[in-house]
Amino acid sequence: MYLKPSYEIRDKYLRKDMLPTIFCPGCGIGAVLQYTLRAIDDLGLNQDEIVWVSGIGCSSRVPGYVNFDGLHTTHGRALAFATGIKMANPDLKIIAFMGDGDAAAIGGNHLIHAIRRNLDVTVILINNFTYGMTGGQVAPTTPKGLKGTTAPYGSFENPFDIAELAVAAGANYVARWSVFNYLQGINSIKKALQKRGFTLVEFLSQCPISFGRRNRLKTGPELIKWYQKITVPISKAKNMSPEELEGKIVIGEFVDRDRPSLIEEYEAYKKRAKKMMGWEE
Amino acid sequence: MRYPFPVGVADFIQGDEAIARAAILAGCRFYAGYPITPASEIFEAMSLYMPLVDGVSLQMEDEIGSIAAVIGASWAGAKAMTATSGPGFSLMMENLGYAVMTETPLVLVNVQRGGPSTGQPTLAAQGDVMQAIWGTHGDHSLIVLTPATVQEAFDMTIRAFNLAEKYRTPVILLTDAEVGHMRERVYAPNPDELKLVYRKLPANEEEAKYPFGDVHGDLIPPMPIFGKGYRTYVTGLTHDERGRPKTVEAEIHEKLIKRIVAKIEDNKKDIVDYETYELDDAEVILISFGIVARSAMRAVKELRKEGIKAGLLKLNVVWPFDFELIEKIAENAERMYVTEMNLGQLYHLVKEGANGKAEVELISKIGGEVHTPGEIVERIKNDLR
Amino acid sequence: MRLPNTIAWVMKMQIRLAGIGGQGVVLAGIILGEAAAIEGLNVIQTQDYGSQSRGGHSIADLMISKEPIYDLMVTKADILVALAQLGYNSTKDSLREDGLLIIDTDLVKPDRECIGAPFTRLAEEKTGLALTVNMVALGYLVAKTNIVKKESVEKAIKRRVPRGTEEINLKAFRIGYEEGLR
Repeated sequence: MYLKPSYEIRDKYLRKDMLPTIFCPGCGIGAVLQYTLRAIDDLGLNQDEIVWVSGIGCSSRVPGYVNFDGLHTTHGRALAFATGIKMANPDLKIIAFMGDGDAAAIGGNHLIHAIRRNLDVTVILINNFTYGMTGGQVAPTTPKGLKGTTAPYGSFENPFDIAELAVAAGANYVARWSVFNYLQGINSIKKALQKRGFTLVEFLSQCPISFGRRNRLKTGPELIKWYQKITVPISKAKNMSPEELEGKIVIGEFVDRDRPSLIEEYEAYKKRAKKMMGWEE
Repeated sequence: MRYPFPVGVADFIQGDEAIARAAILAGCRFYAGYPITPASEIFEAMSLYMPLVDGVSLQMEDEIGSIAAVIGASWAGAKAMTATSGPGFSLMMENLGYAVMTETPLVLVNVQRGGPSTGQPTLAAQGDVMQAIWGTHGDHSLIVLTPATVQEAFDMTIRAFNLAEKYRTPVILLTDAEVGHMRERVYAPNPDELKLVYRKLPANEEEAKYPFGDVHGDLIPPMPIFGKGYRTYVTGLTHDERGRPKTVEAEIHEKLIKRIVAKIEDNKKDIVDYETYELDDAEVILISFGIVARSAMRAVKELRKEGIKAGLLKLNVVWPFDFELIEKIAENAERMYVTEMNLGQLYHLVKEGANGKAEVELISKIGGEVHTPGEIVERIKNDLR
Repeated sequence: MRLPNTIAWVMKMQIRLAGIGGQGVVLAGIILGEAAAIEGLNVIQTQDYGSQSRGGHSIADLMISKEPIYDLMVTKADILVALAQLGYNSTKDSLREDGLLIIDTDLVKPDRECIGAPFTRLAEEKTGLALTVNMVALGYLVAKTNIVKKESVEKAIKRRVPRGTEEINLKAFRIGYEEGLR
């Protein structure tokens, strides 16, 4: 794959007057943003037809830095806003950039229903196992035993597997990578953007300042090395026992299908309504 | 354009149904909602009609999602509405503030029922007045309309959309279970007879750069909706005129919030609407809104028959509130009676407005039954003895 | 008890229909209201019921007037139509002293002067469907009081009843009307 120099991507897609970003040294969000922009660039998508939505959190600040229409909404509600945008103007392509706390905790219900409806949206989900912006509280994704400010003795709750949740709820495409799988990441995002229905690409992303520091992984590189250690590609995981998978996180493409999307179903619904009421042309 | 209900004639319908029909005639093509008594009928009517007029009616997972979807749809260019009652109204407060902060046009119908909490789901109340005005956090202003008849529910829905689009603000149509569920004759005009407003779009690229600035000097910025190449950034954080988050500069916050508030407050003369009855020589003035205004009207007639100089001020808009109007009316009156189905909400605004120029009393009634004219007359006659 | 005679009578009238859930009391109220609306009269129709879909009381109120209406609820009904004992018990105090009471003579034991007929039995025997009791009672009411024209009610029935049931409901209405003329 030929990769353009990043300054070309930067000049084409970033809002210079909004820089510098608020992200900490060592943060993984910038990398994931770059993968997303490269995917858009590779596909040659029309910038005027894309809308970015986000909730609240570090990840959710991303739409503010990119030169597209953007809706920075309330905590956890991005997908509900997105439902309105897409249904009111189906020609727009929606990219939802969210963090794990935003999407799976307060936004959990909207996430489940957006997937259930198979809303046409591509969710780029930054999973850093914490609430970074507010200082490092535990999140529904924090692995058991790891520390956060609201579980200073190690999390005592079971975490969500967001990718598996999305598959079970009916998404058309779900993939999870860690931030260092850049080729796979870019390719997954490209696939997701081209698919109809609900598509999710989750990235394990490092948050050294709020999460890493409290868990003896003080720097970006240490966190990335840790991801390399704990992640297992899905092809290998298939042949491993539950005991062997203990403490590991599976990465790869989880599902790739083409169930009809919300827009398609609603178009069919309108036709059905007109027929039942005798309103056909 | 074909409509799935009669236009240009009168029909015998419920308030909820009238609101749905009026919304569609006003150009609303996006509705998102969640079932709740006594507003479900609005949702059901929209669900029946929207697919036929190429609009969208969607059942969201909760009320928070409903108003979120409405805001999203508005930024995608659609006139959008949602309807709910007390418990759902409380859930919508955060996103309502988001709509105020981002200056998003939308209509939010609250068919009031007995509260607080689950309360009396099938009975009318007027307990959400203060919440409609102040429910969302932070300094803000918005518009609250209060219909008293089914015809008014119809007419004010159209006005609600026009005001929302003109002022780029959420508008609350504050009605109640009584108006929502009663049936009356409603005249729906022919669509070409209606004057409808759509938000200002940017006239050129320069204007599109300032989606939150007073570009035209009327406090209302043009709205660069999504998908037109404007590259608009909309955020609930405090922002400058270009929409860029600027959360620590005091002057930017002050300028933004004061403009959003002034946008409504400075335009009171255009927005406020009221009716008066026999006010000229009135010594006892009834101040009423919503369903109670009908009983109050009858009470005034009865009192006049008994030689008491009564008059009525019927408010069709409870926010923005015309304090000066109240003071002017209070000057010629001895007593003002605020009749409302709550324990005193509009009462405080009227008292403040009267500024000591007249005695302000409250005739309150809760429990779900509307004041009868007899009850109002009795109370006033007793007081006058 | 007085019998209101023609439309020229009163400037306004309060009518209350009462029964139990499932008898179609509210639909009858809507149809009567629609008939009045068709004739250009001002009318407000409201309803009240318990939470049960079947079995609780069910009340439909109508205010009909030539002038604009400011009263919203029946405070002193001019006419009360009671189709079941439970409905009658809940509403009898709202009928004025000289008001007109119409009852289903099989199902209601009144404690005051009244007129009526066995509406439910008539519905069952003549149309085969006890559910049409509301239309039978409506026909009787219209015949006895002439608040609205027969033709207006028939128009309203056609508009309001579920598709496919127009014939049977019209039949029930006419049976009640005939009974009322006797």
